[in-house]
Amino acid sequence: MTSIADIENMIVRTGLGDRAAFSDLYNATSAKLFGVCLRVLNNRAEAEDALQDVFVKIWQKASGYAVNGYSPMTWLITVARNLSIDRLRARKAPAKTIDEAHDLADSSPTPEMAMVQKSERAQIDGCLDELDQGHAMAVRGAYLDGETYQDLADRAGVPINTMRTWLRRSLVKLKDCLSR
Amino acid sequence: MTQDRDHSENDIALAGEYALHLLDAESRLAFETRLAQDTALQQLVREWDEDFVSFSEGFAPVTPPARMKSQIDARLFGPEKSGFSLQGLFGRRFAYLAFASLAALAIIAGPVVFNTATAPEYVAEIAGEDRSLVVAAAYDQETAELSINRTAGAAIAGRSLELWLIAEGATAPVSLGVLSDAQLATVIIPEDLRDLMLGGTLAISDEPIGGSPTGAPTGAVLAAGEIISS
Repeated sequence: MTSIADIENMIVRTGLGDRAAFSDLYNATSAKLFGVCLRVLNNRAEAEDALQDVFVKIWQKASGYAVNGYSPMTWLITVARNLSIDRLRARKAPAKTIDEAHDLADSSPTPEMAMVQKSERAQIDGCLDELDQGHAMAVRGAYLDGETYQDLADRAGVPINTMRTWLRRSLVKLKDCLSR
Repeated sequence: MTQDRDHSENDIALAGEYALHLLDAESRLAFETRLAQDTALQQLVREWDEDFVSFSEGFAPVTPPARMKSQIDARLFGPEKSGFSLQGLFGRRFAYLAFASLAALAIIAGPVVFNTATAPEYVAEIAGEDRSLVVAAAYDQETAELSINRTAGAAIAGRSLELWLIAEGATAPVSLGVLSDAQLATVIIPEDLRDLMLGGTLAISDEPIGGSPTGAPTGAVLAAGEIISS
């Protein structure tokens, strides 16, 4: 079983140009990171392209890892999510049709997945529970489905500026709760 | 409520919006410009990333197709080729590889005459183990010129060869520039590196066209050699 310390060591060695460590890192984390890409993009071909970008970026940026202060899995998952969302946004950039909007909305987790999420997200969920339910849903939608302010506003049936104000206030409250 | 507190609440929200990817392209770019030089802001973003990452704990891992890794390697390292790697060289010498400042140096291609009256004081043979790439280097302290003579090997198609100085006890390799296709070249060594030449190691790595995008070697180290007094 690969420990967090092992992953950290692999990233640092990858940053030193060690290709064997890079392969170890790929073997240890690619399934998890592919899961992240698939979840955001909800499309296998695009997720495969995204995963390639993810590991190219990991190779290129690993030398800066030691000084960025991130825990190893957070760094890797954040790279994977950010690159996947970049792809998602590029896909959505052209005037989007109603069909596309439907595709994107249809990505709720399976019951099994939802259960795992529930058990491992006690802290942030506890803090989200302190928010208005609609606002908490917006924060989750933004993270889990990569939704934009426009998506969130459409879903809630409010103007985009109202959604922005809600979400920004929610973030301040959430931060306050999480740092308690 | 004080000005400071307002400012920090604004930044807390902004950093959260950034971490969630909610900023539009223009605001995102503006935020990244600030982020690059504001460590407090970097910490806010990091905290949000750490908080939000727990959402992804439930994402089911999915094994990617087997061909994926070789496709990634091909993108990063070019076509598969034999040859050896001196990667360990960097690894052994540097426990912490900080961001190396990429010395954007022009390498002036042109005739170089070795063994003239002003004989170079320091020399190095930068070679791979199988001698598929061999570069003779001579450094003239007075003119700060490093003369390069590539006697064997070349960059592979679509890739560049980048020259690095690993100074003794240094924290990171420093780029001396990308080698041109010409056999002979001269590099003017920047002032802050001149005293570090003797005892240092020159190394050549395989990089994307135009050199490493990161300021640190990204590809295989193809050749290396210590700078010694002639």
